[in-house]
Amino acid sequence: MNFLNLINAYAFWGAIELGLIFGLVGLGVFLTFRALDFPDLTVDGGFPLGAGVAAVLILGGWNPWLACLAAVGAGALAGLATGILAIRFGVLHILASILTMIALFSINIRVMGAPNLSLLGQETIVTPFTQMGLSGLYARPLAVGLVVLLVTGLLTLLFASDFGLALRATGVNARMLRAQGADSRAYTYFGLALSNGLVALAGALFAQTSGFADVTSGAGTIVFGLAAVVLGETFFRSGRIWVMLAACVIGSIIYRLALAVAMQNLGSVGLQASDLNLITALIVAAALIAPKIRAEMRQRAARKGAAS
Amino acid sequence: MIRVENLHVVFNPGSAIENRALRGLSLTIPKGAFVTVIGSNGAGKSTLLGALSGEVTPTQGRIGIEDQDVTFQPVHKRAKLAARVFQDPLAGTCAPLTIEENMALALKRGEGRGFGRALREERRALFRERLKPLGLGLENRLSDRIGLLSGGQRQAVSLVMATLAPSRILLLDEHTAALDPRMAKFVLELTREVVAQYGLTTLMVTHSMADALAHGSRTIMLHQGQIALDVADPERQSMTIGDLLEMFSKVRGEEIKDDKLLLS
Repeated sequence: MNFLNLINAYAFWGAIELGLIFGLVGLGVFLTFRALDFPDLTVDGGFPLGAGVAAVLILGGWNPWLACLAAVGAGALAGLATGILAIRFGVLHILASILTMIALFSINIRVMGAPNLSLLGQETIVTPFTQMGLSGLYARPLAVGLVVLLVTGLLTLLFASDFGLALRATGVNARMLRAQGADSRAYTYFGLALSNGLVALAGALFAQTSGFADVTSGAGTIVFGLAAVVLGETFFRSGRIWVMLAACVIGSIIYRLALAVAMQNLGSVGLQASDLNLITALIVAAALIAPKIRAEMRQRAARKGAAS
Repeated sequence: MIRVENLHVVFNPGSAIENRALRGLSLTIPKGAFVTVIGSNGAGKSTLLGALSGEVTPTQGRIGIEDQDVTFQPVHKRAKLAARVFQDPLAGTCAPLTIEENMALALKRGEGRGFGRALREERRALFRERLKPLGLGLENRLSDRIGLLSGGQRQAVSLVMATLAPSRILLLDEHTAALDPRMAKFVLELTREVVAQYGLTTLMVTHSMADALAHGSRTIMLHQGQIALDVADPERQSMTIGDLLEMFSKVRGEEIKDDKLLLS
């Protein structure tokens, strides 16, 4: 069977575009989930926050790139709010992030002044590429891809620095990090701000490529990010930081392509569109459980070997 | 120099599980001295080291390193003065990072961490140069994840890491307790060399009376949160474990019943 029969060009390039956008979410989730060991659900509110901030500013006549930067700033503030709750006041990390997420729903409606805003006909970061004569189908993934490439490159430089090494050690061994003279709390604050800044950037891009910002668009963001991280790790096992980061983006693209293929061929296997959340949850759960099952199987094999 | 004055540490004060881990301990260790610390379980050895490193906050008393009062300084601020090797080989290193990344983390202990590249060629050369004397071949495995190394290898690297950045004191918390006898001996030898080479004021907590007497130039024995015995060279040089036990029962009027302490 040919892959091209399973998916048409529109669905293919759409999946690449979404994969790239949620690749940014994957990078953010990688940072909190893997480096900080901080399960951060703020992202479900941070994604529409980025979308809303960018949309309002673009409608207000701002340059779309500046609007993206402002979205990053807003996301970073949301991350800091979670950090203050969790670190300064000792609220359980996941609960702290849920509180911020809930609060952001109200804040997003205040920011946008409405539950959703249309950006149709506005100048966005995609406009320069369509003006060059490129069809929107290719211009959108191209514009998003350039942003993702730039961000991934900058993150690689960050993680390879003295500062970045400490950031990566924060969640793994905070005690060691403190003994090495680094304030693990400061790194956690920074990591949360950066992670939510990335997710808000993804929201800002999503608003511009899809032509609208919607307050409900954040539902499941954390799961899409996790799917990108765990799929990336499944396909690319490496200790090199640029490979780990690229794997998040590629994992996200793989996830979106798989989803697009499934969407087009749902009927033939007796599934309906509303089953996709269940499928996503199963994929992520399987990828999270797999290492534990592998370890248990190894242990059992070792025990058997010792007994015989 | 380390100066501890009338140090009290109480865990869970006022509760049913209140534990007075240190009870008015005073201790002065001159610059460059290597002191070994023994004592049975619950004597306060780890609490003393925790208080010196900043992980444990004293309820009373003062702690000074060189001429600084560090009593209430948090761990990360004190790290500039104090290098540390933990009992658990997993605690002192960061498993998912490579050997060179761990060493780069340690190289910047007590300094600001910037955005410059952590793994530069001149740093790698330094890491290789420091790992080579271990004779473990780790200088050729810089880019291996440190989690792949054995506990003993990780402890040896931890010791090297403790000396990468300048420090005034070295705190060793039963750092050979989790190792097999051969590797423990190797790490102890390495400790002796490192301490001599860098002239660090060193406090080594150990569970083994034999090791305590064989290393450093002074041995203190803790008992119920206080110093029960304090012997130094040259008097200490001819002492055996038996002498130490006898002295202890003479001073405290009781016997030591901790088998682990006697047998190891």
